Amino acid sequence: MQVALFLPELMLILMALILFGATLTPMSTGALSGLALVLAALATAAAGLGFGAEGALFFDAYRVDAFSQSFKILITFGLFLVIYLGPTLSGVEERLRPEYYLFLTLSAVGLVLLSSAVELLTIFVSLEISSYALYVVIPFRRQREHREQMEAGIKYVLFGAVATGVSLYGMSYIYGFTGTTYVTELAARMPALLAEQPLALIGMVLMLGGFFYKLALFPMHFWTPDVYEGAANETTTYVATLPKVGAVALLIRLVSLGGVDVSQFTWILGACAVLSMTVGNLSALVQEDLKRLLAYSSIAHAGYVMLGILSVGGMGSASAIYYIAGYLIMNLACFFVIYQLAPDGRNVTFTDLKGLSRRSPLLAFTLAAGAFGMAGIPPTVGFTGKFIIFTAAIDKGLYSLVILAVINAGISAFYYLKMVRAAYCQPQEGTETTAMHLGLPAALFGLALVLLIILVGVFPQGFLAIAEDAVAALS
Amino acid sequence: MLSANLNTYLVISLFMLILGLYGMLQHRSFIGMLISIELMLSGAGLNFMAFNRFLAPDPAIGQIFTLFIMGIAAAEAAIAVSIIFAVYRRYYTADPADVHDLRH
Repeated sequence: MQVALFLPELMLILMALILFGATLTPMSTGALSGLALVLAALATAAAGLGFGAEGALFFDAYRVDAFSQSFKILITFGLFLVIYLGPTLSGVEERLRPEYYLFLTLSAVGLVLLSSAVELLTIFVSLEISSYALYVVIPFRRQREHREQMEAGIKYVLFGAVATGVSLYGMSYIYGFTGTTYVTELAARMPALLAEQPLALIGMVLMLGGFFYKLALFPMHFWTPDVYEGAANETTTYVATLPKVGAVALLIRLVSLGGVDVSQFTWILGACAVLSMTVGNLSALVQEDLKRLLAYSSIAHAGYVMLGILSVGGMGSASAIYYIAGYLIMNLACFFVIYQLAPDGRNVTFTDLKGLSRRSPLLAFTLAAGAFGMAGIPPTVGFTGKFIIFTAAIDKGLYSLVILAVINAGISAFYYLKMVRAAYCQPQEGTETTAMHLGLPAALFGLALVLLIILVGVFPQGFLAIAEDAVAALS
Repeated sequence: MLSANLNTYLVISLFMLILGLYGMLQHRSFIGMLISIELMLSGAGLNFMAFNRFLAPDPAIGQIFTLFIMGIAAAEAAIAVSIIFAVYRRYYTADPADVHDLRH
């Protein structure tokens, strides 16, 4: 039946409609976030029910398969976690809180559509749905003591529009060469075209270049630190996690158009990946603001994921899916700590981390798990993910890229461990240490994230099998 | 009389893309930057129409794509202008060079 195929999307659209209704009625923040949480849980359940569904909708422009359904589960579950993480919305302007959830949901709708879209126009429109909702949500930060959220908002929307323009321009060349916009038809013709026609290569690179913006990959990374720093902590948590998942789904689909052979196209993407890691890691070394640091770290991680994506065939794409899922959890752990450290919604620096292990051992341990994971230290999911990505790239013979990536992982350990050191080894200055009180839901959330980071890392087989099934559905 | 040569249109659209990118880097007001973006999007639209007219087997696809680009560009402009207003209310300027709290 057709409706069953479209169930997760319908549930999310229903959620957006209900939240729109909530914007029209006065509601307390508690009731509002409770409502959003329940709806997000239902959407996750709908995505879970949709797992295993297969079919094509809307004149074959929309394909439901193992690949899209896995990403839908990841995106809806991520939305649930992001809403669960910040129940008080302390950083968001009070009168805008109902709209805040509405726009987050709309953005998630766009991402879910994106994971199923197999036609250029559909891809373009779903991407814009998810972007526009985010553009609006960035300046929602509480205004009393801040104004930099406006700057972040204008930078995000203007540069985002340029990225759209660039990728549309690339799409126009691809359409010109092939006369089709369906990804399946493109897959048959692109490898030969890329080898013969330089202009097709330029078109492909321009198109992907626009999409790099969402993943924050070099050379489209420059917005990340400013937007992360300027937006409210809750908003940044969303921007840092879900759009990246959507972008990875899209890039896996489009990069595999280039074919499995190592070609010029692979080397261009490889150069972007390595530059992204280097720029991200070196800039992160000197940051004081934690959100800014995580922004540069996300640029570096985009590089690692790209290394997996460009190793088309074999384990490459599956490793990228596994890595981005792990990255979602690790990033959420770090942002959870930031959110808890700043009940008034301000930005958190290294000074705030000092003596954290005394004040709240659980928060300190969550931060340590997240930081160890991102640094790639066993037995976390970050280590396993990097290991599988590097193995896949070596299988393709991309030795130089892997060597540079490993050096980069070494550099990145410095600033991740600096966070752990501040939390565990440095005493808090001045005032006497007072224990922080974490509510039961928050404590459970922290514990669950730590367990996920370790367990998914130690037992990757089940998750990798799902990722491989997903990739197998692509061809 | 319109040119019957595909290359004419490709060159014009490339010119629009480059001009848009140059405008993004050089312009001294947010509205000017927004105009530059519209120029880039129109360049892509022109490209689609040209390929559609001269090369495509099914001449509907490119036209629909261009229509969507126009619609999306309008939505984009609405969002950008509203955020420009919000910036203006806090910073009292539309000059990008004056809006730089976030640089460390």
